Amino acid sequence: TTLPRKGLEEFFDDPKNWGEKTVKSGDAWNIKQLRAKSSQDLHKLWYVLLKEKNMLLTLEQESKRQQKPMPSPERLEKVEKSMKNIDLVVREREIALRLLQTGHEKPVPGEWRNDFLGRTYWYSYKEWPIPWYLNKKYKKRKFYYLPHVNRFIRLRLEKYLRLRNRRQSLKKKKQKLLEKKFPHLAVKSQSQ
Amino acid sequence: MRLSALLSLAARPKLPKGYRHGTWRPGTAAERLRNPPGLRRKKIFVEPISREDWKVFRGDTVQVLTGKDAGKQGMVTQVVRARNWVVVEGLNTHYRYINRNAKYSSTYIASEAPLLLNQISLVDPEDRKPTEVDWRYTEEGERVRVSLRTGRIIPLPLRQRRDGIVPEQWIDGPKDTSVDDALDKTYTPSLKTFEEEIMDAMGIVETRRAKKSYWY
Repeated sequence: TTLPRKGLEEFFDDPKNWGEKTVKSGDAWNIKQLRAKSSQDLHKLWYVLLKEKNMLLTLEQESKRQQKPMPSPERLEKVEKSMKNIDLVVREREIALRLLQTGHEKPVPGEWRNDFLGRTYWYSYKEWPIPWYLNKKYKKRKFYYLPHVNRFIRLRLEKYLRLRNRRQSLKKKKQKLLEKKFPHLAVKSQSQ
Repeated sequence: MRLSALLSLAARPKLPKGYRHGTWRPGTAAERLRNPPGLRRKKIFVEPISREDWKVFRGDTVQVLTGKDAGKQGMVTQVVRARNWVVVEGLNTHYRYINRNAKYSSTYIASEAPLLLNQISLVDPEDRKPTEVDWRYTEEGERVRVSLRTGRIIPLPLRQRRDGIVPEQWIDGPKDTSVDDALDKTYTPSLKTFEEEIMDAMGIVETRRAKKSYWY
């Protein structure tokens, strides 16, 4: 580990690179390479990348202030891509472990619920300090619908079916037009 | 695997509905000038070719079959799949003036026009004659392009990186990890979560108990 004297020099690049127009940098970390690393390596790499990102962001802001172009901005994209890949790898491992231990994929439990307009949606549970029967805000929310909403459910269903049929007939019309312009497509579909 | 695939699919920038692709890359200044948002142009019908059936790649040698430069061979510099276009270097050119400003009367240059796939034919590597090409599988299981006339395999052109780096000639900088370190496998699968493993490694012991919370 380094021994920082106040530590502010880590916000800046190597002094040899000050004033350069371009700085050479390697590729971003691949997901395949990261999947082979242990958790400790990923943890350390995350903080190394974070410090590099801070340095690049200060460089970007300073170049904006000086109204000069930033030397090699692709470094920022590479660092962000690597950090995103690390996050993905950790999440994949977490999901795999959860599937093995519990059989659930999602970290937060939930269920299908109806809202007051008759729509069914996935409601994910939230963490509360008090039980539901003491929670005034939660009790005000309606997870059911009254019988007068049935008419609107039917209207909504009709609208959805109408749109779906329109999309399908448009697709068929487009396909017919393409077959007229390129006759060999029709022959292929017939032979299949 | 699934999570990364899902997210990468969602990350592609969405083009407007009636977008007409040109020879410019979406996102550049030239493309934004020619295709401003809200522009509606007549629809161009393009023969649909699936991703697996596509045969021509950048860097391939092709022969032009029709047009001004019929019979000549050249290297493909640009491929626009949305319009089944291929731009061949130096062939099918027209001339135009470029870079005109108040002080400089412009330069006269030759610019290539794109060719459709049916005006192009892939070339057999040894014969150097145009052939029909199909995708086949080798005995090893590799998917290759095979010329139907002779049966020879047409190798895929070398894919150059967009940032111009040639991996064989690369020298690591001070902040780059070496190849051995990057490919070093340190992962041992265990039944501990990421957080638990880090806590074990750093010697953190959590003695606090969480207060009872309710999930609903």
